[in-house]
Amino acid sequence: MTNPTIFPSEKTNALGRRGFLTSATGVFTLTFVLPEFSRFTDADAASGGQVNAWLRIGSDESISLTIGSSEMGQGSFSGLAQVLAEDLMVDYTRVKTVQGPPSLVAPVPVGSSINTVGSGVVRNNFWKMRDAGATARETLVKAAMNQVNDQTRANFTVSNGVVTHTPTNTALTYGTLANAAALLPPVAIATLVPDGQLRLIGKTLPRTDIPLKVDGSALYGLDVRVPGMLYAVIKHCPSFGGTLTTTPNKPSGAIAVVPTKVIAGTGRGTEVTGNVNAVAVVGTNTWDTLQAAKSLNVSWTLPSTTSNLNSAKFLSDAQALAVSAPAYIAGGANPPGTLYTVEGSAAPTNAAISGSAKIVDATYTLPYVAHACMEVLNCTVSFVPGVSCEIWAPTQSGKSVLQLAMAITGLAANQITLHTMYLGGGLGRKAETDFVSQAIQVAMAVGKPVKLMWPREEDFTRDQYRPMALVHGSAGLDASSNITGFAYRNISPSILGQRGVVLGPAGDSQGSEASNKLPYNFGSRVIEWVSHPSPIPVGFWRSVGASINTFAVESLIDELAAAAGQDSYMFRRSKLTDPRWIKVLDKVADMAGWSAGPPAGRARGIAIGTAFNSIVAEIVEVSNATTTGLTVNRVWVAIDPYLNVNPGQVEAQMQGGVVHGMNAALYGQQTFVNGAAQAKNFNRSRMIRQSEMPQVAVAIIPNPTVMDRAAVIGGVGELGVPTFAPALANAYFKLTGKRQRSLPFFPGATMGG
Amino acid sequence: MNLTLNVNGQNYPVTVSDGGMPLLWVLRDLIGLTGTKYGCGIEVCKACTVLMDGQPEKSCVVDVTSAVGKKIVTIEGLSSNRSHPAQKAWIDNQVPQCGYCQSGVLMSVAGAMQAGHHGTEIMSEVQNLCVCGTYQRMKDAVKTL
Repeated sequence: MTNPTIFPSEKTNALGRRGFLTSATGVFTLTFVLPEFSRFTDADAASGGQVNAWLRIGSDESISLTIGSSEMGQGSFSGLAQVLAEDLMVDYTRVKTVQGPPSLVAPVPVGSSINTVGSGVVRNNFWKMRDAGATARETLVKAAMNQVNDQTRANFTVSNGVVTHTPTNTALTYGTLANAAALLPPVAIATLVPDGQLRLIGKTLPRTDIPLKVDGSALYGLDVRVPGMLYAVIKHCPSFGGTLTTTPNKPSGAIAVVPTKVIAGTGRGTEVTGNVNAVAVVGTNTWDTLQAAKSLNVSWTLPSTTSNLNSAKFLSDAQALAVSAPAYIAGGANPPGTLYTVEGSAAPTNAAISGSAKIVDATYTLPYVAHACMEVLNCTVSFVPGVSCEIWAPTQSGKSVLQLAMAITGLAANQITLHTMYLGGGLGRKAETDFVSQAIQVAMAVGKPVKLMWPREEDFTRDQYRPMALVHGSAGLDASSNITGFAYRNISPSILGQRGVVLGPAGDSQGSEASNKLPYNFGSRVIEWVSHPSPIPVGFWRSVGASINTFAVESLIDELAAAAGQDSYMFRRSKLTDPRWIKVLDKVADMAGWSAGPPAGRARGIAIGTAFNSIVAEIVEVSNATTTGLTVNRVWVAIDPYLNVNPGQVEAQMQGGVVHGMNAALYGQQTFVNGAAQAKNFNRSRMIRQSEMPQVAVAIIPNPTVMDRAAVIGGVGELGVPTFAPALANAYFKLTGKRQRSLPFFPGATMGG
Repeated sequence: MNLTLNVNGQNYPVTVSDGGMPLLWVLRDLIGLTGTKYGCGIEVCKACTVLMDGQPEKSCVVDVTSAVGKKIVTIEGLSSNRSHPAQKAWIDNQVPQCGYCQSGVLMSVAGAMQAGHHGTEIMSEVQNLCVCGTYQRMKDAVKTL
């Protein structure tokens, strides 16, 4: 293979956003705005020229679908192409997916497809993509009707991109119809492929990006090479909250040292807008620049509060708030440490519990956890003052990057070009834009294109972590083992609060998700959430609050089952009436052969939960528990997402989610001493390798025979994570008789080469 | 310092200021072969694995000077058309998710195959870190090799 070095500016300029939208001769362009789509209109009339997804059918028979969201391994690009191809009635492999630019479409779409979060790309766009395919198909058929001068639709059939006029046996390909279709208004009504005739939706199909990922040709953010580019390496203050004292002299081997400040909207917690919290060392290649950065002594000024930023203090603060926290006051200041009532009522619940035959009372703790994407944070920027800013980034937040670049450079949206590159993992971290803001600042300072990289140590120590949490739960059982009351209090730093959101009476939805609206028959319940005052930056980590709450809820349920002396599967089942939850629970128990029990020397635990509108249950089988490790032998996963597009891809995401949950539950934590993160690389933050991989079996509740547009489609990408930790802890209890209420199981585990 | 490296059967003259520059950065920054990935820089994650005279090596800790005279193979040189059996097995089994670690994984697999390992025993030679957690499909894929 020849040298794969590609200059993305050349490659992608051919698809410049303006040129792409201009209707080219011989191209039928169907513009549709995701996900707020409600009707099809002419491209320019719809949005002033910016949309975030569109379909082109060329007279050369090419079909391309441009998507503004990001591909980070979750397979949603292929998923959208698969959905489109169904109703467009073409071979799925003919649909070429193209990475699209961000959009400032107004009204701003909530949860827009261009912010790739919440396991939402496929499910939020499913019906819109189907409508788009059907509308394009019927408009092409209309062109065929005109061409053969027969307006009777029943005289036409469509198969794999060919419209056939059956009375005359005239076959017209989409490509030959594209010119004429481009001149027609899109049809107003287009019928979808009937549920019973689906060829693609619900079928395992290969992903289109995988061939590029076995030969080194997929270009990730860190692979960008722009002519004349310099290399920059970031060096933050080792402690959160610190600021640069004086700009250091340029070390030998470096071209420049550029202080970078926290740009509005990118800093969390300790990282206040305007603070100079890092310097970027600029050089001519990565290695020389890394060495120059390492040799650079930088003087930082730490605020007096830095000494409070210690993991031990975070835990003791949480313990105090578990006992006593002032309640939310409407219109009040409600500073960190405020208690919010998410659901239910405390007084009757506590009364119900205190009068119970049996009471379970337990406290669970979870640490801060880093994202640790395989690809470190990075961004490449080429800036021409007053003219243009071109950005290449592995980002989950194209729109945020565009807005950020406008704010920093003062340029207009049409002077800024973002190339969203493949993401070497996103996991929620690449929804943030701090690293992008730094790259823009450095490029503006040095006057040349710059690729900014965070060394792995910076990536670990300057994350926006999954929040730590302390959860206190208590619940009662009556003499018949009915649950009398369920009281749940989660004390955790606020993700939304660190983003400037003023919390309402129910607190932070990200913190409480998966602890409220639970379908268990709890008798009386109160679900509370307390904002922990720690200012260590926190963020969205694959499955977010569900990763915390599902562990605590499902551990507590298991403790209740044990107190009742009942089987942990049947105990759960007896407290549920929701048919979907019961079906998922039964499915996973059936798969695992729960009633037959594990082989000798092994034990199993079960857990169920919901996130992003999907229901997932897992059974984990363990053995060989020691003080330093255990073996996870097998895992069974059942998921009900309402409907799935590509079951093979759902399976892959569940398997990957189990590993993500396993890395965190067994080993994952970040601790702080005087504001400085202690785990700086994988050697001090162990993750599993193939030798620790359990066999994971996945079952998907089958797609409904009649698909209901009004039904909510569930997410997939994050769903393997939340139920793993509680199922593991529940299995561990069966194996050892010990409750593991604190994660990770093996703090401080290391990983050698 | 001027050096010549043999990568994927081709000689590349390179100029480095530091003979201790790891092969990883020479490949990526100076030669422009970006398929080899940076993950940790401390030979733990193995995303940077390449073959040197047939042996898998972590290029993040191989000084460029010690790579001179060796036959280096990177993911770009595994085949010209994704025809290496491991590449075909990876596509057939839909192994990659984000894909970032897979260059290193495939070079580890290729090295194990070159050393005479077959089928499931190949995986015992593959200790690459995959944060996406594609291990199960890797294990399925090597069964055919």
